[in-house]
Amino acid sequence: MKYLLFICGGGVPAPEDVVVLQRECSRWVEEMEGRGVRLLGRELDLPATAATVRVRDGERLVADGPFVETKEFIAGFDVLECADLDEAIEVAAKHPSSWFRSIEIRPFADGLELGEAAARFATGDDSGGTPYCLMMCLDGIAAEPEVEEAVVRDGIAWGEDLQQRGRKVLGHPLQHKDMATTVRVRDGETLLSDGPFVETKEFIGGISVISCAGREEAIEIAAAHPLARHHMIEVRPFVSE
Amino acid sequence: MTTSAAAGAVDAAFREEWGRVVATVIRRTGDWDLAEECAQEAFAEALRRWPTDGVPERPGAWLTTVAGNRAIDRLRRGARGAALLEQAGREATPTPPGTDEEAMPALFHETDEIEDDRLRLIFTCCHPALPLEGRVALTLRSLTGLTTAEVARAFLVPEATMAKRLTRTKAKIVAAGIPYRVPPAHLLSERTAGVLAVLYLLFNEGYSASSGAELIRSGLCEEAIRLGRALQQLMPDEPEVAGTLALMLLHHSRRETRVGEGGALVTLEEQDRGRWDGAEIAEALALLEAALRRRRVGPYQLQAAIAACHAGAPSAADTDWGEIAGLYALLEEQMPSPVVRLNRAVAVAMAGDLGAGLAIVDELRGDVRLERYYLVEATRADLLRRRGDRAAAAAAYECALPLAPSEVERRYLSGRLREVTAGDGGEAGEAAG
Repeated sequence: MKYLLFICGGGVPAPEDVVVLQRECSRWVEEMEGRGVRLLGRELDLPATAATVRVRDGERLVADGPFVETKEFIAGFDVLECADLDEAIEVAAKHPSSWFRSIEIRPFADGLELGEAAARFATGDDSGGTPYCLMMCLDGIAAEPEVEEAVVRDGIAWGEDLQQRGRKVLGHPLQHKDMATTVRVRDGETLLSDGPFVETKEFIGGISVISCAGREEAIEIAAAHPLARHHMIEVRPFVSE
Repeated sequence: MTTSAAAGAVDAAFREEWGRVVATVIRRTGDWDLAEECAQEAFAEALRRWPTDGVPERPGAWLTTVAGNRAIDRLRRGARGAALLEQAGREATPTPPGTDEEAMPALFHETDEIEDDRLRLIFTCCHPALPLEGRVALTLRSLTGLTTAEVARAFLVPEATMAKRLTRTKAKIVAAGIPYRVPPAHLLSERTAGVLAVLYLLFNEGYSASSGAELIRSGLCEEAIRLGRALQQLMPDEPEVAGTLALMLLHHSRRETRVGEGGALVTLEEQDRGRWDGAEIAEALALLEAALRRRRVGPYQLQAAIAACHAGAPSAADTDWGEIAGLYALLEEQMPSPVVRLNRAVAVAMAGDLGAGLAIVDELRGDVRLERYYLVEATRADLLRRRGDRAAAAAAYECALPLAPSEVERRYLSGRLREVTAGDGGEAGEAAG
């Protein structure tokens, strides 16, 4: 099964913690890639660099900042291929972020495929364009069935168009937030809780990575997604490597 | 065979075999709802056939086979099911199955040794990534066969709420990829503790029910004990499992004596020991003794050992409080909690050192975790009363009263308050029954 790990950030860690985090993070990446469980992952830029995009009555509304302001925020993500949730928990519990903060494990909906663009992104090769993360934010309120169907249909067309234009890196819906598990490790003990790391009305229903010329184009691509008309999309750059 | 005898046999089989049937069908199909429905149908079929055909030699195997065949019938109708059957066939037989219905792979054979899948089922139901409420409800529904309506009544929620809770819990097991298995060695002890916590929570849900209106909930105690016995058979080498069962049995042995006239709380000290259930106490003591001999003491064994001290004392006055205080000290090492410390304070006081007991309670009064916990003041009041300090005891009872969670406790405290203010403070009762 494929899982997404949301790596949670927040606050200013003590300098000695930063050293531990950095050292242990690279060890973790090395171990998990060696085992073949980590497929890819990148660190996102801070939430302050994000833009949230909505389209209402044909008008594009762009706000600075993340889709929801919380003390703890999404600092990055990793895509895993694991036998089951127990393996994903074990992998998450070895990531140093779970020792200081928390990590949310969210299963992908079936059928995530990672192509060549994703493979390049995984190695940090950004020669094709600057990568941006689009987080599809839902408010948990179901629209009319016809609307939901149209969003799915138009969303697929949006992805195909992006693919043809060489802008798509990866993209796939996630399982509902009710299927999330949050992992924290305290005093060597792995603590699990049911649900996302922060309970808000809005939650991330899917994730896309696009490659483009810059922020303006990333916002334009996000605004073209059908979800922008009914919900909202957070656009955020990655930390450049 | 008479219809009523057959019905009795089906009833007995239901209590014995429900969990096993559901557990096996889940393992073979991965479909929780299907397993429940088909188990239901298998028992209905038994009610129809056993009066004429007689009770089969191995009712569990018969029921599992029937439920399994129903599951296959249903799966055949769906595309996903056909794929599942094909996959199962590939795994089961070296030759690929044909398209002919007759050549469909048999997922279930009556002659198969029916593996006991209940351990897989209980560990999956109690997986720590599931919401706690869901773990408890799903354990009851899938292992004991209580209907959704019965589980809802036991937890005092509307049936629709419980149905939603069960559906969401099952959905997460499948969607999040929670494995259907007994955890591997490195996870086993931690996950076993999780299962025991669910069982004990279930037991306490029932045990805290005391009034007539709540009688349905007291059935939860019997269900928890039944599950505990099953788990003990399945994991005979795990002393904490035996410890939990012993602890539940020891509490349960006193069920008839805990509540007096008009639902009043009767403390341990005042309970009629002659009415404690001797058979349950004997079973518990044997379990506990065997568990302790394994020399892997855990919190449940220690709590059972404490309960055993009470059960073994011929009268309240004969209670070995020194031993109990020592056991609480060990428990506090393993499970540091202010509630355990409060209990230790009572034991220390009862063992003869009222001052030392009161000193521990006084320390706990500053603990924010216990701010709203009435037993701190109630315990303090009791110890002060025992020391003969009536004015201070009365003040403490007054502090405890507004924090008491139920009418039964409030009535108990008011009674004590009247006693100390009237000036005839008899020698009786610790607050915790």
